Amino acid sequence: MQRGLSVIRPIVGNIQDNNHLVWVLQGQTLISVPGKHGKVPVTIALIPCKHPEALEKDRGNPVYLGLKEPQFCLLCTKVEDQPTLKLTEQNIMDLYNQAEPVKPFLFYHNQSGTTSTFESVAFPGWFIAVCSKGDCSLILTQELGQAYTTDFKFTVLA
Amino acid sequence: MLSLLLCGVSIALLPVIRADECDIISVQDETPAVGQPFAFNCTYPPLTSGKVYVTWYKYPSNIPVSKNTQSRIHQDQNWILFLPLAWEDSGIYQCVINNTDTCHRIHVNLTVFKKYWCGASRNSRPYSLDEYQQILHVGKDDSLTCHLNFPKSCVLDSIKWYKDCKEIEGERFASWGIKLSVNNVSAEDRGNYACQARLTHTGKQYTVLNSITVNVTEKVGNGRRIPKIIYPKNNSIEVQLGSTLIVDCNITDTRENTNLRCWRVNDTLVDIYYSDSKRIQEGIESHISFQDHNFYTVNITFLEVKMEDYGHPFMCHAGVSAAYFTLKLPVPDFRAYLIGGLLALTGAAVSAVCIYSIFKIDIVLWYRSAFHSTGSIEDGKLYDAYVLYPKPQGERPSHDVDTLVLKILPEVLERQCGYRLFIFGRDEFPGQAVANVIDDNIKLCRRLIIIIVPESLSLDLLKNMSEEQIAVYNALIQDGMKVILIELEKVKDYTAMPESIQYIRQKHGAIQWSGDFTEQSQCAKTKFWKKVRYHMPPKRYPPSSSVQLLKHTPCDLTAGKWEASVGFITP
Repeated sequence: MQRGLSVIRPIVGNIQDNNHLVWVLQGQTLISVPGKHGKVPVTIALIPCKHPEALEKDRGNPVYLGLKEPQFCLLCTKVEDQPTLKLTEQNIMDLYNQAEPVKPFLFYHNQSGTTSTFESVAFPGWFIAVCSKGDCSLILTQELGQAYTTDFKFTVLA
Repeated sequence: MLSLLLCGVSIALLPVIRADECDIISVQDETPAVGQPFAFNCTYPPLTSGKVYVTWYKYPSNIPVSKNTQSRIHQDQNWILFLPLAWEDSGIYQCVINNTDTCHRIHVNLTVFKKYWCGASRNSRPYSLDEYQQILHVGKDDSLTCHLNFPKSCVLDSIKWYKDCKEIEGERFASWGIKLSVNNVSAEDRGNYACQARLTHTGKQYTVLNSITVNVTEKVGNGRRIPKIIYPKNNSIEVQLGSTLIVDCNITDTRENTNLRCWRVNDTLVDIYYSDSKRIQEGIESHISFQDHNFYTVNITFLEVKMEDYGHPFMCHAGVSAAYFTLKLPVPDFRAYLIGGLLALTGAAVSAVCIYSIFKIDIVLWYRSAFHSTGSIEDGKLYDAYVLYPKPQGERPSHDVDTLVLKILPEVLERQCGYRLFIFGRDEFPGQAVANVIDDNIKLCRRLIIIIVPESLSLDLLKNMSEEQIAVYNALIQDGMKVILIELEKVKDYTAMPESIQYIRQKHGAIQWSGDFTEQSQCAKTKFWKKVRYHMPPKRYPPSSSVQLLKHTPCDLTAGKWEASVGFITP
């Protein structure tokens, strides 16, 4: 049993998928690699948006998604007409405290069983994905099939 | 000729110079096992996503790694491939990534080590950096993955799985592709696994062996995903107008949930709804973590409850769940009022009785003065009281008794209060027989005043006086007359007194004389005289004409002062 701090702070944890790939930070890019003793997975920070009423319901909890350290957040933008996932320097609490939802930084977090999906709020139908073999960067995809994994296991760190 | 030579040298050096100038964008450590195939992909997304040229070097050599597929170490597309690794392969390898206008380097520190597996001693290294880490979820159907990352030129097949050096068998396990499915995972499934694969490259076969450390997660609750609001329960709360109120919302939810918990009114966050007044605010969320769930508390604070808050739902949200409470004014408790009223009445009655018992004499005297007229009663009586007192006998005159009876009593009761007394020795006609005087006159009196003096003086007197016996007899038996017993001093032993006196004392009590015997200091308003007057008949009678002539203050008037200087005239 552990008592939480009485300040609002993000939920932190690790992400894995069915292929036992973990997210690691390489430069300014998140890549998925096979989990090994020598590879330190990033600690993910999640915090729900305070204003879900402005967003679509029933797609999951709108959350901001970032890293605990360094203060980076994931966002979705269009690059050459293609929705693209980027990692940018951004304090997640600044997003949380905004009076309006900051859509590019928001993902619908849909939980089913032990797996989670992260769907872009800015580009509904586009999900965070990794390649099945690993050693590739996180991308946005709308192809929910074999080539990419969009189901992740989020494990909360105490 | 020389210039041509220099030109040739510079062309040869060009890639070297350029490689050194490229930025190192990543430094990685690899610790593969000797004797096994090993491959490393030079990839750095998004840099390597487009069209790039990759060249591998072994530091400090400037000569690129061979691209000959027959070579033990060679470059295959962006990969560097060791078929197999030898001890001397330890060292620094660099891949240079070139595109049209930039170049970058990835630095790989390769340390070849001896993998001890099954049968060999493992004491030296419990974990090696190349060991994979995987997790199985208890109670679920899960799988392990054999990561076999090699270029496409390599064919991998015949994968076998081992746990603690024994090949895995059983119904719960099934190998398909690079996966081993594990049905109904239990805690015993944790341990040291290995997957072994056959690698075929240009007709040659090699064996790849990956070690995997497998951990299991604790059983995850019942998989319930909907948060449960324990309180509020769509209930109402009684609260006084104007008071401060704090209400907790208690929620249980999974540890991994990302649900928003908040208080809303009219579907708006309370902090926004009351952003101007801040009269109602949401508190800071806290939580307690248990093994399989979290317990959250977030409160709502009313700094001051206002009329508009009553009957309005205040909604606690936790993800898709919601529950509210409303406020209502407290219902007055009639039973409490009834009990309180009865208690107050009882208290008032008790205090009234107490006050009456303490101030009984004053109240009665005030009542008489306020509501009784001064007219005479037609009851056939002539006197208000017959005064019976011990007479001085022979050589022992009782000066105090005489003073009291002949001076002070008439002064106060007759002159100040307007009573008429019959005092034997003052009011009888000379020559009358004593027995007749008493018998006749006592019948004309409303009260009998008996003056008692301490035994030494009075005992004999009382005993020897027949008139006294007659009077007492008449008073007690014939007329039922009220008797006022005045003790001149404290009588210690009544047993020495005649029985009739003892009876009177027992029935009516006695009044203890207080004060001195100077008639001038007597006032009807002292405690003693109030007691006497209390026992006297209620009616006041017009004083005798001689007394009336004197200027005096009526004794029953509460105001006014007794003037000690006024003279006293006996009739």
